[in-house]
Amino acid sequence: MTLKEKLIILSDSAKYDASCSSSGSTRRNSNGVGNAAYSGICHTFSSDGRCVSLLKILMTNACIFDCKYCINRRSNDVKRALFTPEEICEITMNFYKRNYIEGLFLSSGIIKSPDYTMEKIIETISLLRYKYHFNGYIHAKAIPGASEYLLKKLGKLVDRLSANIELPSDSSLKLLAPQKNVDKISTIMDTVKKNRSKSFTPAGQSTQMIIGASKETDLDILGKSEHLYNTYDLRRVFYSAYIPVNKDNLLPSIEMPPLVRENRLYQADWLLRFYNYKVDNLLDKNNPNFNVLIDPKADWALRHMEEFPKEINKASYYDLLKIPGIGPKSAKRIVSSRKYFKIEFKDLKKMGISLKRAKYFILCNGKYFTNMEIFNKRFIESNLILENKEPIKNVGVQLSLFNE
Amino acid sequence: MNDYLYDGTYSSLLGLIYTLIKSKTIPNVIKREDEYISNLFMEPIYLKLENKELINSLKKEVSMLVLYTAYYIYLSNVNNKEMIIYGFIKNAIKYKNTVFYRRDIYVVSEAIRISNQVKGEAHRMKGFLRFKKMKNFYYATIEPTHNIIWIITRHFKDRLKDECWIIKDSKRGVYAIYDLKKVTYLQENDIIKLNLDLSDDETLFEDLWKTFFKTVAIKERENLKCQMNHAPKKYWNNMLEMEDL
Repeated sequence: MTLKEKLIILSDSAKYDASCSSSGSTRRNSNGVGNAAYSGICHTFSSDGRCVSLLKILMTNACIFDCKYCINRRSNDVKRALFTPEEICEITMNFYKRNYIEGLFLSSGIIKSPDYTMEKIIETISLLRYKYHFNGYIHAKAIPGASEYLLKKLGKLVDRLSANIELPSDSSLKLLAPQKNVDKISTIMDTVKKNRSKSFTPAGQSTQMIIGASKETDLDILGKSEHLYNTYDLRRVFYSAYIPVNKDNLLPSIEMPPLVRENRLYQADWLLRFYNYKVDNLLDKNNPNFNVLIDPKADWALRHMEEFPKEINKASYYDLLKIPGIGPKSAKRIVSSRKYFKIEFKDLKKMGISLKRAKYFILCNGKYFTNMEIFNKRFIESNLILENKEPIKNVGVQLSLFNE
Repeated sequence: MNDYLYDGTYSSLLGLIYTLIKSKTIPNVIKREDEYISNLFMEPIYLKLENKELINSLKKEVSMLVLYTAYYIYLSNVNNKEMIIYGFIKNAIKYKNTVFYRRDIYVVSEAIRISNQVKGEAHRMKGFLRFKKMKNFYYATIEPTHNIIWIITRHFKDRLKDECWIIKDSKRGVYAIYDLKKVTYLQENDIIKLNLDLSDDETLFEDLWKTFFKTVAIKERENLKCQMNHAPKKYWNNMLEMEDL
């Protein structure tokens, strides 16, 4: 098999992992090639609009597991390939020096045993770090069930580790990924959290959940994320809209991946991490799923009209964050600027703050944007919905997730 | 009000602006001498003020952050950038570092906006730039909107310090040449002919990269608009993987 054929098989089967980030590490170029950029760098964007930052490949797509949703499951009749450590190093170094990539994202199917697979990953990355003196960004998958000493060894070599939860509840995991188990993933996360330092996964750990392959609600999923952020200091939880690559009675049959739902979950995830929201604020047992028509923050605001309008010149930082259209950057800008002058609507524009959504929810020096009559829930709601027509096209897909 | 000209360098622009502010002179326009279109009614004043003392006393009045911001504006392709720097520095002397919070002042908000645009393009270019491996060095061509070659070379010097490389801004005819020690900037006319023979493995890795780029996209999620928003078409010319699209 040529290098090109291997690359096609082993990048094609790695692409469903949503993680692309190359940020959070300050690894320097001591004596060799490459360094990490703390902010991360996107090198290109593929035709699905996703950022390409790392050479995202599997070491092998052969796997002893048989997870129902996975294209690489044992029972699938697909072409299998295996990269040697040298081949991975060669491609990584040559891509990196041409500035195609920020580094390597190495994952793998499980061959022989979790320990054996981990050892192969460690061998590859050691070669890259010590023989090729590569100091660029490396994200590696931790293999569930591998020994702790191997995990500790790997953590010292890489910038980020991740172990994918894939399914948000134990029952779904048992059903769809019988060889995986939650405890093994929790053990990895716990070890990474306890050992994290400047020289051990400086960019922290992340995970991924598949959206729409099992029956969990948004509340279940986001509740899981909140728990993970609080318990294991995860840097990111990625959400990956389920794409039917296998036919299986246990899997939902859908035509299109639930992209709008995925987007809503990302928006809500941002609210948890940067906006001080709790899952309880956003969803509850009677409302366990996000409104597909409107983003979670605006939806929250519309359900809490009594909190608005907020006075730009007085509202606290956290109150400003509740205004649709105003994020941490804008809120900080407002707080630091209003010490020096009274902010008017015309100033907001100059401050680079978009009024498109915010205008319905704010006062500047006691004045509404236009007049008070527009401060009316139904009016605002219909305007906000009209403004983003695009997601509405996909609503049909959202509502028919399962053939019941 | 008069028109003022400078020789095009950042330090003489700063010297000129600082002299104008100190003497409370309000310029009509400030331009590079080679960009100035003379008119019948105005005799421009040409000042060459590459004076270290002037710059040093300016440095005492404003922070480095202000000077960096002004430098980024200087690198921009904005038409009246000299007047924006003039207005920004004038306000910076008045408000010190709190000038960054005074976006209610038009020229300040413009200054910050333009400087962020230049910084943004520099950051993007760190990702979008593509080197080709030649027989003796790595070679990249860029065509940025702003004159950012000056601020991206450090990044590549840190990263690829054991390789010789050349970055060419083909829009401005400027070359940045790294020889394992330092980066030298040369104009097109100063360049002796470069040997642009590809290294033997170049086509192999170009092909592998294009293959990877195509394979990694998920068909079910195709979103060309989103792709274009993040990687604007103006950069595609020099992005290898976009060639066949």
